[in-house]
Amino acid sequence: MTDARTSRRQGARGRAAAATALAWTVALIGAGPIAAQQAPAPAAPAAYAIRNATIVPVTGPRIAGGTIVLRGGRIEALGAQVAVPADAQVVDGTGLFVYPGLVDAGTTLGLEEIGSVPGGNDTQELGDFNPHDDALTAVNPSSEIIPTVRISGVTTALTAARGGMISGQAAFIDLAGWTPQEMAVVPRAGMVVTFPRVTARRGGRRGGTDQPDQVDQQTRALRNYFADAKAYADIKARLAAGQAGTQQINLAMEAMVPVVRGESPVIVDAETADQIRGTLALADSFHLKVILRGAPQAWRMADTLAARHIPVIVGPITAAPRDEDPYDAIYANPGVLAHAGVQIAFQTATASDARNIAYNAALATAYGLDPEEALRALTINPARIFGVADRYGSLEAGKVADVIVTNGDPLDARTDIRYVFIRGQLVPRTDRNTRLYDQFRARPHQ
Amino acid sequence: MTQNDRSQTPRRQGRAMLAFALIAVGAAAPALAQRPRPAAPAARPAAPVPAAQAPAPAQPAAAAPEASGPLPLAIPVPPAGRLVAITNATIMTATHGTIPRGTILVRDGKIADVGPNVVVPPDAQVIDAQGRWVTPGIIDEHSHTAIEAVNEGTNSITAETRVQDVLREDAGAIYRQLAGGVTTIQVYHGSANTIGGQSQLIKLRFGLPDDSLLFAGAPLGQKFALGENVRQTNFQPQPGQARRYPLSRMGVEEVLRDAFTRAQAYQREWQAYDSARRALRRGQAEPVPPRRDLQLDALVEILQGRRLVHCHAYRSDEMLMMLRVAHDFGFHVASFEHGLEGYKIADELAAAGTGVSTFADFWAYKLEAWDAIPENAALMAQRGVVVSINSDDEERARRLYQEAAKTIHYGGASEEEALRMITLNPARQLGVADRVGSIDVGKDADLAIFSGHPFAPGSRVEMTLIDGRVFFDRNTAPTLENTIEQMRRQLPRRGGRPVTAGGAQ
Repeated sequence: MTDARTSRRQGARGRAAAATALAWTVALIGAGPIAAQQAPAPAAPAAYAIRNATIVPVTGPRIAGGTIVLRGGRIEALGAQVAVPADAQVVDGTGLFVYPGLVDAGTTLGLEEIGSVPGGNDTQELGDFNPHDDALTAVNPSSEIIPTVRISGVTTALTAARGGMISGQAAFIDLAGWTPQEMAVVPRAGMVVTFPRVTARRGGRRGGTDQPDQVDQQTRALRNYFADAKAYADIKARLAAGQAGTQQINLAMEAMVPVVRGESPVIVDAETADQIRGTLALADSFHLKVILRGAPQAWRMADTLAARHIPVIVGPITAAPRDEDPYDAIYANPGVLAHAGVQIAFQTATASDARNIAYNAALATAYGLDPEEALRALTINPARIFGVADRYGSLEAGKVADVIVTNGDPLDARTDIRYVFIRGQLVPRTDRNTRLYDQFRARPHQ
Repeated sequence: MTQNDRSQTPRRQGRAMLAFALIAVGAAAPALAQRPRPAAPAARPAAPVPAAQAPAPAQPAAAAPEASGPLPLAIPVPPAGRLVAITNATIMTATHGTIPRGTILVRDGKIADVGPNVVVPPDAQVIDAQGRWVTPGIIDEHSHTAIEAVNEGTNSITAETRVQDVLREDAGAIYRQLAGGVTTIQVYHGSANTIGGQSQLIKLRFGLPDDSLLFAGAPLGQKFALGENVRQTNFQPQPGQARRYPLSRMGVEEVLRDAFTRAQAYQREWQAYDSARRALRRGQAEPVPPRRDLQLDALVEILQGRRLVHCHAYRSDEMLMMLRVAHDFGFHVASFEHGLEGYKIADELAAAGTGVSTFADFWAYKLEAWDAIPENAALMAQRGVVVSINSDDEERARRLYQEAAKTIHYGGASEEEALRMITLNPARQLGVADRVGSIDVGKDADLAIFSGHPFAPGSRVEMTLIDGRVFFDRNTAPTLENTIEQMRRQLPRRGGRPVTAGGAQ
């Protein structure tokens, strides 16, 4: 491991924590499945023990001066009295904090590299309905963006295509692994739907070019599609129950079956209150399990969403509100929702900006969101929303060892993320950015 | 940002909620500046400055009384305080450290005193900033807010176009940026062509007529652009629309050299004319003046050092090209805009005395932003480059304090250095560091008051002052909280159920 990023920051800042960096040896460089881009390294230690750190489990009280042991990809133990195993590589956590890895619950990670270069981007398919497209298929494990995100403390993300009305299945992935399948936590985490919306014409003023007819038309088409899927699923069920007949296989409809049976959630992008209302109506008609996403106007119906137990993935918070909303509407929306009892998570809706997910949450805490709730929204809440809270989202014995070690509050832009573990493996602290930084920082003075 | 992104930026309209607080824009046509003659440095017409109003009675804003009814959804035009004292504040000066508990005294819109032991005159309007942090008003070195159009990209040189001519009350965007502590913004022409239009520095004097926005006495500025946008890389021409020259970075250099060669010739024509007039004897015929060329006028002002060059650029090679061109024609480049690869040539930039106004960590949106690193700002600063962090975006503009904080995390800038990147350093790049950018005696009282440390995650802007006048105050602002409160009070109950949390289901 080249711990250059840590040590240079410490050096630059004159921090006394250099000893922490020295506690690491080159032999520790993340081996195994961590970084597809990295050359194979010597075998990783059997276990890691981070000791004398402030441990923030998220689902339980903070542990001062605690020890956490990572082994076999899982959290083996944590607590104030936990012994350091003899075979564990020790990390001195003095002055440091241990958190679960952060989650960006809406990205295009692995699907998008350089915005303007189409060859590297698989974020959009032609056509309005592509339910049988799986985002996981196109996740590039060698994306240069992914390492920049994970060394910022983000260990897990939802990634999905967008576009059309049904964009396909999103994938919930860990940000490390040699293959997409290895990265997958939930290969099909939810069907991504964009509820039809009034959009501004290119170059026009936002909200100035209403096209209600088109919206109605699209909404009807969306409802019809779900109706078709429901009928398809019903026939499939009858045939399975022994009724006579045949059914021609339709792959798109097959992909919709778990959705209309309420087994797979729909992740619905909805920017306006109208879109949310339309989504709720759609959900009522077809008994859908809805996760709202984006939803900057969800505050207008916070109590309804809470009563219906509909989670909301808010964000990006780094967005301007619509002109009819108050200046702080985007910032304050998460706090209003959480206060009403809505389960919230955060998204950046990008690849390259996913490293800023904690700072999105930070803006919300400045406008009413409780900081502890913000932390849950970055960890355990998304794990619950995607049904993996038994394995992800908090520091508990037996859970997957997605763990970050920081020198402060991860929501604070001044905080350094010192160590990142994904599935118990230490993530190398290098990426495209640090390589260039190291290269040009060493350029002789001209 | 890409030129396409820019052209798609939603031009926000004033929202109805605020509109009534605005003074009718159409009634106040800005006094058009006469174009100065190229040869003689003509006096630049002074921008209109809002007339000072009578001082208001003291109203300690930080301790507003509990509202008994719905808060008014209005932004009162703030009174001009002749004598204002901000007391008990933690003051980050940007030039001489942080004063843990100090007072800023403002007289006639200027900072009259600052320090831990400032005596507050009895007639001063006092803003008790107990527990709050005060910074210089944030300066956004690169904005496209408050203009009706951004790009005139039909020709490679449109140096004659002026942002000043298309300024408008962009109420929503201006107000939201004030609410992010921003007080001064440099409004640029877009980056569609090599030599774009003339920029305009403005102060966000929200609620006053649009000609009140102008930053009086600011140096002239000119937008230049290099790279992908100029060579029209990332968009397809519309049907029937021809590509225009240049399509390569070599062509961009040629456009520049040709333009300044013509400007030099034009300058000589005027010099010859002026000499002939000076030598004119009684009875002799007046010499015929050269034909005025509004495009070349602007370039001559650059050659004369009277107009600052702000050049959009990404790659290190194109920045070096621009520096060579500037050297060959004897002018100076004030700043590179974006300059995401500035870290590769930090020493060359420092030697040229050229600043860089960059993003904190925005990257990967196009090929020329692929070698961007978040340590760019800190590394350049460490090698002696004057660095600012800009927004280029109405949304990013309102959280520049968070963007600046990233330079601490990436690359190890100090807190004061980070603060300078959104205050003093942009002021230096824009040639107004003697007026704004720090909390020093004699400077304009442009201030942002934060609820806590400006770089702490839970902090927000509580109040923003320009020239000592309050232009944003969260106590009277239409927040989401009191909007929901209003809706609760106003909406009828439906079906016997109380309407809650907005209730508009």
